[in-house]
Amino acid sequence: MTPHLSTWAPTLDLRSTKILYQRELRSALRERSVVVNGILMPIFLYPLLLWGMFSALNFVQGLNDGVRSRVAFTGPPPEVHRALVDTILARQDVEAVDVGRADGGGIPGLVPMEAAIVGLQDGRIDAVVTFEMIPDGGSTLPDNVGITVRFDRTETRSAGARDRVEDAVASYRSGWIDQEVESLGMERAARTPFVIDSENVASGESVGTLLLGQMLSLFIVIMVALGCFIPSVDTTAGERERSTWETTLTVSAPRSSVIAAKYLSVATLGVVAGVLNVLALFLSMGAVVRPLMAESGDISFSLPLLSIPVMIAGACALALFFAAAMMLLASFARTFKDGQAMIQPVYWLVFLPVLLGNQTDRTLTPTIASIPVANVSMMIRDSINGVFLWPLIAQTLLVTLATVAVLLLVAQYILRFEDFLLGSFDGSFWRFVRARLSS
Amino acid sequence: MEGAPEAVSDATVRVRQLRKDFFDEARGEVHAVDGLDFECHRGEVFGLLGANGAGKTTTLRILSTVIRPTAGSASVMGHDVLEEPEAVRRSLGFYSASTALYPRLTGRETLQFFARVNRYPEPQVAARVDELVHRFGIGEYQDTRVEKLSSGMKQKVSMARTVAHDPPVLIFDEPTVGLDVMNALEMVRVVRELRDEGKTILFSSHIMSEVEKLCDRIGIIHRGRLLALGTLEDLRQETGKHYLEDVFVHYVTDAEGEGAVLGPMGAIRKDG
Repeated sequence: MTPHLSTWAPTLDLRSTKILYQRELRSALRERSVVVNGILMPIFLYPLLLWGMFSALNFVQGLNDGVRSRVAFTGPPPEVHRALVDTILARQDVEAVDVGRADGGGIPGLVPMEAAIVGLQDGRIDAVVTFEMIPDGGSTLPDNVGITVRFDRTETRSAGARDRVEDAVASYRSGWIDQEVESLGMERAARTPFVIDSENVASGESVGTLLLGQMLSLFIVIMVALGCFIPSVDTTAGERERSTWETTLTVSAPRSSVIAAKYLSVATLGVVAGVLNVLALFLSMGAVVRPLMAESGDISFSLPLLSIPVMIAGACALALFFAAAMMLLASFARTFKDGQAMIQPVYWLVFLPVLLGNQTDRTLTPTIASIPVANVSMMIRDSINGVFLWPLIAQTLLVTLATVAVLLLVAQYILRFEDFLLGSFDGSFWRFVRARLSS
Repeated sequence: MEGAPEAVSDATVRVRQLRKDFFDEARGEVHAVDGLDFECHRGEVFGLLGANGAGKTTTLRILSTVIRPTAGSASVMGHDVLEEPEAVRRSLGFYSASTALYPRLTGRETLQFFARVNRYPEPQVAARVDELVHRFGIGEYQDTRVEKLSSGMKQKVSMARTVAHDPPVLIFDEPTVGLDVMNALEMVRVVRELRDEGKTILFSSHIMSEVEKLCDRIGIIHRGRLLALGTLEDLRQETGKHYLEDVFVHYVTDAEGEGAVLGPMGAIRKDG
């Protein structure tokens, strides 16, 4: 049997829409979770998050710097290289550790190989330095020695010990080669046939801007989605749960005004969340990250003025999209909890930009501009990097608005079904589509 | 049964051969309302009496344009529910358990919202809200959010919001469900007052005593059909029963045929 269609005339009354919109917004802004996710989170999240992140990194760095690496030696070094052990142990941040003494003529930290490996595995030793004589085949200098540094890559402390030992060995090695070169009567310059060096041509500002672009484009998507998340459930499933859905249906406004008001209120909260995010992130960058970065490096950032309207346009487009998609799915739920579960597919869309955003050499292309959410994210990243591909920006916004239009048409069609309207249909959007297609 | 020609009728609510079918996965095709005919007039309380599932709420939902009829017609103040749904809703105040108040608005905001959205003249909204606050005695908590009010207070705000735009027709669908005795009595008092002001009131209930006390005319509805319609006195005379409960049982068992016995809440079972 064909399901019954409800009264529905797609007419919009602006006065009613405004009154209903004000009511929706007022209700939403009195819900704690809406205010926390849409307004307070953007304002306080970035300063706190970024300050916490940098403080934690500095703290961990400080802890690592203060920790002395416990080093053991196996296979005593040839007498001629005894000074190498002294060089390693001369470092303030390295100490020899005894886990079973081996016969080595008083070299501190000299242990049998088996004991050293066990000590490395159980965490009593951070690095094991093994000396092996290289057989004199005429192709190496006399007294040349091979050195193996064993460490545990899964342990930060062990990896740090490896770095420290390697630094000490490199320093000793350089001195020893200079000495040998001199003894052979060669010029010191002759020992280095060519020099390999690298130079980063990217300025500190462009590196900073790249990081900002990656971070901001993703955060705006996430926060706009989060800004729409609770309001979209609250105004649909929440209304059913509170038995106010039918109350709204009995006011004398056209149904299209009711739906438009709900939709616009959710989109507004999404835009507010997005814009607040942009502002909060800039303020955080200036007040928190810049001073922290200044202490540790030369990374800085700047932002093209033109990127601000592009970002705001992007935030608005995302809000319109998320509001439509989330409301469409959540409106099938009878309870707030069910609504949250039904929205999950849209929320996963948020992570789509991550896949494209990681490709730092990629910009907006006609293909990417046709993928909702990812296109806006890429558009925002490009604009921060000073890339403004206007035809593709226009395509991005048009594709997003077209997607929104399709979603709203689907919503309008579904609203004509009385079992949906009255909440007697038991199931999700997908089940509804299957049921209607098969009937 | 009603049968007056439409041209000479002064009916504020008119229902003609109204039918509503729907499909239920468990029960299949259901005729929730099956050829209903009645009219209501200004200044009367019209009671729709029936057991749970008899079709009362479905009828009232059609009248309030929440759902549309499968066949037949219904109009409120001359506005057809299909042709002019907004005008119908503007002429109606709808009170039921399924139309709760917005919990995050205050009482005053609630009244303002319903008056404005239902097109009460904008310049007079503030004065109307003041009048309702005074009339329903909600002054003390008019600025408190609805979610923080007791059920009695909510009931008063709810009644006030139903009449906020001063509609000529009011629908009360099982209005006393869940209310204590005092609040139920208050509800009955308000309904009488509104009737005396000339409002048309459609009052649906399965509580006999309420209908007996309040309704000027009664329609007994069962399985979507109107079994009887008239004043309490008319129904008493027709059945020879005094109490409305007995009148109701008489009609329902009669409709179900011999051997039908009325179970709890009007459910019919066939014995023998």
